[in-house]
Amino acid sequence: MEFGPGFWGPIVATVVMLLGAGFAYLMLLAGRRLARERPSIAKRSTYGCGEEVKPEEAITDSEQFYSSVRRVFKPFYRYVQPGHSGKLNTYLLWVVIGFIVILVAVALVLR
Amino acid sequence: MIEIAPIIAVLLPLFGAFLIPIISMVSKRFHVERACSWFAVVILVTTLAVVAAMGAAVWGSGVMVYKLGGWSPPWGIVLAVDGLNLLIALIVAGVSSLVAIYSLVYMRQDTRIDLYSVLLLLVTAGAMGSTLTGDIFNLYVFFEIMSIGSYALVALLVAFRRKWDSVEAGIKYMIIGSLGTSLILLGIALLYGMIGSLTIADLAQKLGQVAASDVLVPLALLITGFGIKIAMIPLHAWAPDAYQAAPSSISALLAGATTTAGLYAMIRVVYMMFGAFGVGTMFAVFGLVTMVVGALMALTQRDLKRLLAYSGISQMGYILFGIGLGTALGVQGGLFHLLNNAIFKALLFMCAGAILYRVGTTNLNELGGLGKNMPITAGLFVIGALAISGVPPLNGFASKWTIYIAGIEAGKAIFSLIAIIMSVLTLAYFLKAINSIFLGQRPKRLQNIKEAPLTMLFPMMLLAVLCIVLGVLPSLGINLVAPAQGALMNQSSYINAVLGGI
Repeated sequence: MEFGPGFWGPIVATVVMLLGAGFAYLMLLAGRRLARERPSIAKRSTYGCGEEVKPEEAITDSEQFYSSVRRVFKPFYRYVQPGHSGKLNTYLLWVVIGFIVILVAVALVLR
Repeated sequence: MIEIAPIIAVLLPLFGAFLIPIISMVSKRFHVERACSWFAVVILVTTLAVVAAMGAAVWGSGVMVYKLGGWSPPWGIVLAVDGLNLLIALIVAGVSSLVAIYSLVYMRQDTRIDLYSVLLLLVTAGAMGSTLTGDIFNLYVFFEIMSIGSYALVALLVAFRRKWDSVEAGIKYMIIGSLGTSLILLGIALLYGMIGSLTIADLAQKLGQVAASDVLVPLALLITGFGIKIAMIPLHAWAPDAYQAAPSSISALLAGATTTAGLYAMIRVVYMMFGAFGVGTMFAVFGLVTMVVGALMALTQRDLKRLLAYSGISQMGYILFGIGLGTALGVQGGLFHLLNNAIFKALLFMCAGAILYRVGTTNLNELGGLGKNMPITAGLFVIGALAISGVPPLNGFASKWTIYIAGIEAGKAIFSLIAIIMSVLTLAYFLKAINSIFLGQRPKRLQNIKEAPLTMLFPMMLLAVLCIVLGVLPSLGINLVAPAQGALMNQSSYINAVLGGI
C-alpha cells in the first residue's frame, strides 16, 4: 500500500510485529524465571511508605492517572472542563456560541 | 426487483417497528420468549442484505434512482443511491444488525423489550431514510424519526431499572437535539423560499447561481444542526451524558450508526448541495479542535462509557479533518476512518456493555484485574483500543496514516502533527482504561465474575476481526470507500442521474 511520499507494507509489518511480540514474550518468560516475584511484609511496608497496603486496596484514582498531562494543559482544564458540568443551560450556551462561530466562519469563507 | 431495493431498505425496519406490538401480544399469548428481539434481528439482517444487494448496481453503474409514485423530480420525491450513501447505509444496517444480536442477551433481563425493539427499528429506519433519500425535506423528516427514537432509547433504562440519570440525559439530549433539528428545518425553509425546490440534486444545480451572501445563513443553520448530531465541538455537550446513561447497546448504535448518518447528512448538504469545498478548511479547523478537546477531556474521565464518548468526539475530529482537506487522499482517509470508527467504536461500547452486564459498573475506580475473569472481552477491548489509537497493523492505523499523509500533502503539516499527538493521547487514555479494568489488583467482590455470554461476544468478535482484516489488508477498505470518495468529489453524475438531464 502506498500513500503519497510514504510506503506501508501491512502484511510484512504485521509479520515483523508478531515476531517481535513473540520475542518479547520469550524475554518476559526468561526474566520471570531469573527473578521470581516474592512479595514479603517487609517489601510491602517499604514500598507503601511504612504502611501495610492490601493488594486489593492498591487502586489509583483513574482521574489522576495522567496528572502530569493535566498540569501541562492546566489552562484548558481550568476553563473548558467546567463547561462540561451537566447543566442544560451551559450546554445550550455551547450551542449558541457554536452557531455564532460557524456563522462567522462561513461568512469568512464565502466572502 | 433491485430497482425497488432503496425503498425496501427504508420500509423494512419502519413497518417492522409497527409490527412489533402485534408480535409482542402474540408471543405473550403463546409464551414465546424473546420473539420481539429475534424479529428485530431478522428485520435488520434482511435490511443489511437488501442494502448489500444494491452494491453491485451502484458500484457498477453509478447512481440508483427510485421515484416514489412514479413522480419525476423536482416535483416528486426520489430515493437516490450513489457510492457515498451506499457506504453509509451499509454501516448503519451493519451496526444495527450487530446491536440487535448483542441485545438478544444484553437486554434479556428487561421486561419492556418490545418497546426497545420498536425504538431500535425506528432509529434504523430513520437513519436509513435520511441516508437514502434524495429530498432534503424527506431527509429532515427521517432525521427527526431517528433523533426522537434515540432520545427515547437514551432514557429507556428508567422504564427497566428506575435509572433516573437516563431520564435526565434523555431530556437534555432531546432539548439540544430538538434545537438542532429546528435549525435544520429553518435552514431548509430558507432554501425553499429562495430556490423553490426540495430535491437535493435540483438545489445543488440551482444554488450555484445564487449569491454567496444569500446562502450564508441557511448554510450556517444546516452545519450547526447536523453538527449537533455528530457532536462536533462546540456542539458536543449532550454526547457524554447520553452515551453514559444509555444502554451500552444503544451507545454502540449512537456512536456507530446515527452519528455516521448525521455526518453523511452534513457532507451531502454542504459538499454536494452547496458545492462548498471552500468550507473544507473550516471543517479541517473544526475537526482539529474537536479531536484535541475530545482527547483532552477523555484523558480525565473516571467512567469508561464517558471516556468512550469523548473518544468518539475526538475520532469525529479526524474524519472532519480528512474530509475537510478536500483532496482525494484526504476524503479517502476521512471516509475510511468513518467506516473504521463505526467498527471500533461499536466494539468498544459493546465491551463496556459486557463489563456492565457482568460487574454492574463502568466506573474505572471500582474495576481491576478483570483480564483473568473475562479474557475474551479483555482481548477484544485491547484490539478495539489499539485500533482506535491508530496502532499498526489495525484498521485505525491505515485510515489515520492516510489522513496524516493527506494533511502533509495539502500543506497542513502542523495539523497532521497535532493529529499524531492526539493519537498518542488516545493510546494514553486507552492504556489507562486497560490498566484500570483488566490489569492490576482485582477487588475481592470481582473474583467470581464470569466471561460475557457467547451471544454478546459474537458481534464483538466479528467487529474485532474487521479491525484486524481492514488493518492487515487496507486495500479492502480503500476499495470499499473509493466509490464513496468518487461520488463525493464528482457531484455531476448524481445530479444528472436524479434530474435526468432536466
